[in-house]
Amino acid sequence: MTGRFTRPLFWFALALPALLMLSDLARGAVLAMDLLHPSGELSVRLVIAAMLAGPLAGVFGPSRFFQGWLAIRRNLGVAAFGYAMLHLIFYFVDMGAIAVILDELALPSIWTGWLALALMAVPAAISFDQAMRKMGRHKWKTAQRLVYPCLLLSLVHWLLLDWKWQPAAVHLAPLAMAWAALLVVRHRTRISERNPAA
Amino acid sequence: MKKSRAALLAVLPLLTFLAAPAAHADGNVRCNAGPREAWKAIADLRKKAWMEGWTVQKTQIEGDCYEVYARTESGQAIEAFFHPVTLQKLVVYRRGREIYRAPGFSPP
Repeated sequence: MTGRFTRPLFWFALALPALLMLSDLARGAVLAMDLLHPSGELSVRLVIAAMLAGPLAGVFGPSRFFQGWLAIRRNLGVAAFGYAMLHLIFYFVDMGAIAVILDELALPSIWTGWLALALMAVPAAISFDQAMRKMGRHKWKTAQRLVYPCLLLSLVHWLLLDWKWQPAAVHLAPLAMAWAALLVVRHRTRISERNPAA
Repeated sequence: MKKSRAALLAVLPLLTFLAAPAAHADGNVRCNAGPREAWKAIADLRKKAWMEGWTVQKTQIEGDCYEVYARTESGQAIEAFFHPVTLQKLVVYRRGREIYRAPGFSPP
């Protein structure tokens, strides 16, 4: 990202919903339990936004728009982890005691959330250039792919809590369509490479 | 990470989802409560929940039911649906899992 003010502005935009949520909580306008859903949903949306850039750039080819999107992909991922942590903080505030948190840890709707957060922590922790250089590009990329099981676990966590499949499906649909489109493009490219005269 | 481990991680959520009990549709509980003029007051609902030994966090109208978010005496976070006219406790969920259902009540 270029520009003296672009990066701070971008991070401010990413942080703004969190600031509003915390302000609402501090003013007593909402309960911590009311913020569980918005913080979790925003985290999922940011993960999806980060994950969409790759397949869409593959489908539509290189352009300034997708280059820009790819450039902010890591920021989106780190912000997604930030909102997942905020989701956890709201959960702790809502529950109020470690004993009751541990008591419900074995519930599938809860441990799926914990596991998703643990999986997300790995790519988030290595989302900087030095880590990429140290690990090597291949290893680093493999570790970043943990976001896929993380996203699936997050959606299962959501479904098991709400039992409304539509919102989770609406969130997953763009990513599924982007990957389907990329597979079609790759398949066509392979066919045309095999039969250059066709 | 080996491919087999990555595949296992991807399949795990699906297996969890498939293994979870199916009858949990708290997203669409119907109470068939009729017109709101006949509904009991929210204050009565709070009293009813208090008599269950719960600490009420929040009450709201969900569809045509009364919904209560509360903590049980042992601190469990629960979500309960009450009939707005009779204030009968119809169904209680703990983190999406059904833990109580009134005899004869069948949410659609």
